[in-house]
Formats: sequence, structure tokens, C-alpha cells
Amino acid sequence: MDKASKGHVTAVKKAVACELADADHVLEIGCGTGELAQMLVSQGSVVHGFDMNAAMIEAANERIQRNHLEDRFKATHMGVDGMDSLPDAFYDAVVSTLVFSELSDDERKYVFKHSARVLKPEGIIVIADEVVPENIFMKLFHKLIRLPMLAMTYLITRTLTTPISDLSGEMKKGGFKIKKEILRHGGSFAMVTGKRSKGV
Amino acid sequence: MSPFKYIWGMLFRLFPCPEKTGLLRIRNPGPESPVLVTCNFYITVRRLLRALKGIDAWVLVADSKGVNVWCAAEGEEFNTHSVVSAVKTSGISGKVNHKNLILPPLGAPGIKAKQIKKQTGWSVYWGPMRLKDIPVYLEAGMNREHRMKRVTYKWFERVDTALGSLFPFYFLGAIGCMIFAGHLLLGYLVTGAVVFIFFMTLCPWLPGKSGLKKVILPEFILFCILIAVSWMDVISPVHLKANIIIAMVMMLIYASELGGLSSIMSSDLDPFLARLGIGAIGNINFAGTVRTELLNGYRKINYNKDKCVSCFCCSEICPRGCWEIGEDKRAVFIKRENCTACRACLVQCETHAINAEFDQ
Repeated sequence: MDKASKGHVTAVKKAVACELADADHVLEIGCGTGELAQMLVSQGSVVHGFDMNAAMIEAANERIQRNHLEDRFKATHMGVDGMDSLPDAFYDAVVSTLVFSELSDDERKYVFKHSARVLKPEGIIVIADEVVPENIFMKLFHKLIRLPMLAMTYLITRTLTTPISDLSGEMKKGGFKIKKEILRHGGSFAMVTGKRSKGV
Repeated sequence: MSPFKYIWGMLFRLFPCPEKTGLLRIRNPGPESPVLVTCNFYITVRRLLRALKGIDAWVLVADSKGVNVWCAAEGEEFNTHSVVSAVKTSGISGKVNHKNLILPPLGAPGIKAKQIKKQTGWSVYWGPMRLKDIPVYLEAGMNREHRMKRVTYKWFERVDTALGSLFPFYFLGAIGCMIFAGHLLLGYLVTGAVVFIFFMTLCPWLPGKSGLKKVILPEFILFCILIAVSWMDVISPVHLKANIIIAMVMMLIYASELGGLSSIMSSDLDPFLARLGIGAIGNINFAGTVRTELLNGYRKINYNKDKCVSCFCCSEICPRGCWEIGEDKRAVFIKRENCTACRACLVQCETHAINAEFDQ
């Protein structure tokens, strides 16, 4: 995947890891093979990652064994619908990279609702994903170049992604204050950091 | 309704045609109204909404990656997780005072009904095979008449499914003709369409159980005609001969995956490709799947009576009526020859009384 993305995926994960340098307990939504989790563990975090793809969890568990991360990283086979089983106010950060664009509107709302619940009062959420550019020309250009990419992605992974039209807006509605928003690739990729609003 | 999406979904069913997932209100549903679950293939959602005309209901569109129920369930894209996620994230629990989901029975190879109950508390009721029977089914208190449990493959169903799956090949052939043999294009288009209608119309009456066997007789007749035309050397036979060859090739293409298009016949192409050593194209696997191994005879359906808990799941869900319940209230695999290896019984049998072990 990383070869196909020419290292962009790893670069995104490194940028996300930098945002979470101070987090003790991190929940990773869609942890995949555990690449980001390992970066976070090397910064001192304890990570609980989950992914609905059993093959990914298997690869993550191999990574855990290979690098002796048993005490610092736990990978669970679970979808976002399983977030209701996670404990209240336990995590310092919730993170997700390149997963939100695969979720439905209802699933994203559900994730924000439960992220607000599982985070400690000062907890943060970091979401990095594909978004719809605001600029009208970039929006058109993005649509044009995205079509062959979408076909290629479907053939390789049999998954369809939908860029999110208002990630920050959804995060605000989900009970978070926006701390930082970084846009890349002509506004088609965003990394948004939010902080749990008081009273949520 | 989007005409472009409708045409795309009708003609290019090999590719996804997604509809938005989530909860839909049909007319004025209340807390007692039924909850029907479907996949997020655009055409299926449209047809379900049409079938529910005049009925107050909730429709829960679950993620199947934009693929139709049967194909997505077989490919495990329409699965237990899709339904559990739709139930939990849609907020349907707060809108009704019951916990009954009506699911499309052709989703059974991918969706574990008992797991849904365990994970959400919602009970699964399999709906009728055909959408048009939904009003009668609902009126009868979600009771399925016998005919509603069995799959059919009538003319419209054959043409509908075959059109969506075979049109891309027809389309590619037309492009090939345009580039390399423009003078044959018209003949190709007409011959391809005529052969398609002919084969899909007559296929139930052609001898043989699978598409590749059914094609033997018409191919033989066309071959005889080709020999006769060549022998008679009639005026301008080149176009005629070319069209006969086109007809033979097109019929072979249509027949090669006839079984895979329906839930009433076994697929020919997947086990054939697996035997050739072609394990996968892209992310579509042919080799190694339980279904392919069943079709190739490497595994066979086994039944352990001692593990049977008389839940009747197998007889309820088999689209071909292969399972019946005996006098001792245990299942009997009575029509093995009708089995298309769809795996619905395997997936629904939680006690593993039905299993697919390697044939010794």
C-alpha cells in the first residue's frame, strides 16, 4: 500500500504521530497492520487499535510479536460499531487515518459520539483523511483525477472511498472544538485535530 | 432517481453502483412499522422502494460496497458486520418498539442471522425471494409461503441479471470491432444481441445442467450451419460466416458464466479458472474459496445429525429446497443434486452440524 502511495501513507502517519506525542493512552480506529501504533508506542504511548479486517489484525499481531509490543499495543478485530463496548473517559487521544472516507455518514456520527465518550475531559481526536476541496476548480480537478484512482483502488482492494465534504463541521457537531486543520494536496487531504468540548 | 446511475447499475453490474447507506422512511412509518434491510446497490434500493409503495415502513440500507445482495453476500461484502453496523449506527432502535429485522434471503451466504441477534438483540426474519411478494408477506405477519422461499430464474430475471453482467464484454467486443474490423460492427451488434435473447430465452429447455453444457447443442447446430454455408458457397458468404462465428463465440461467453449469474445454477467459470491455476483476478478470488472447492469436488457438504439442534435454518434458507425436515425434527439433505454450493446453509448452521470438509 505504501509503495503504491509512494510513501505518502507513512508520511501522513508520521505527521499524525507528532500530534500525539503527549498522549498516554491512544485508541486507533482502523489500525490496519499497526504501523502508526508502533510509531506511537515508540513515543511512549499505550495503544489499543481495532480494525474490522481480520487479515490486518493478523498482520498487526505478527508485528506485536515480532517487536515485543505485547504490553504497549493491543489489536482487536472489531468494527466501529463495537465502540460502544469501550470504557468511558479512558483514552487521552483517538486517532484515525484513511478510515473515515470508508465509513457511512451514520458511522462517522457514531464514531464522534463514542469518541467523545471514551476520551478523558482534555482528550483530543486526530482524523487524517481524504476530503472534498473547497475551491471549485480544485473540486473539479479532484473529481477528474479521482475517477481512475477510484477504479484502481476498487480493483486492488475492493473498497470504495468517499471523500468527506466537511470533516471539521462533522467533528464540531460531534462535540469537539477544532484545534488545528492542515490541508494538503490541493485541499483534497486534511488532518484535523479536535479537542473534546466541555460538557460532552 | 438518477437515470445515469440506473443505466450504469443495469448494464455494468460487475462494478459497484452505490446508494447512500442509512435509514429511509417510507411514507409515515411508526414504532410498529416493519424494518427491512437491504444492500446499498442502487437498483436494488430503487426496486425495494417501488415494491413498498403504499406501505409504511423503515428501510435500513446497509453497506455492501454498492454491489447487489446475491453477489455481495457471496463475496462477503454484504455481511454480518454490515447489518450490525447499520442497526447500531442508524438509530433505528429509538424509532420502533420491536426488534425484528426483515432481511433479503439471498443475503444468507454472507449474513449470520444468529450473530446479529447476539450482537444487537434484533431477531432476523428472512423475507420473500422476490420483492413483489413483500406486501403479501407483510400482510401475512412476516410469514413466507413456500413459493417465497425458493428462487426462480424466469425470463425477465435471466435477462436482467445476464444483461448487467455480460454487457461490459459485449461493449468491449464492440470497441474491438470498431478498431480492428469496422465493417463487422453492425453484424456484431445485431448478432450479439440476437444470440443473447435466443440463449437466455431457451436456456431452461436446452439439455445440460450448467451453462457450458447447455451451449453444446446450439454450438453444434451453428457449427453445422457454418460448414453448410461454406460448402454451398452461397453469394457473399464471408459476412454470413463471420456472423456465425461471432454468434458461436458470443454464445460461449454468455454460457461460460450463466450459472454464476443466477442463484439457481452452479457457477462454471470460477471452478474452471481455479482448475486452470488462475487463483484470482485483482481481488476476486477463484481458488481456495469454500464455494469453488465445493464446486470442484475438493470438499463436500457433510451433515452430522448429532449436532443438529432442529433450528430448521437450513430448510428455511436453502433457495433450492435441498434440505427438508424429517419426522425426528432433524434436517435431511434430500436434494443434493440441486445444491449450487451457495453456502447459505453452512453459514446459518451455528452448531456446524452442516459443514464442508475436504472429500477424502
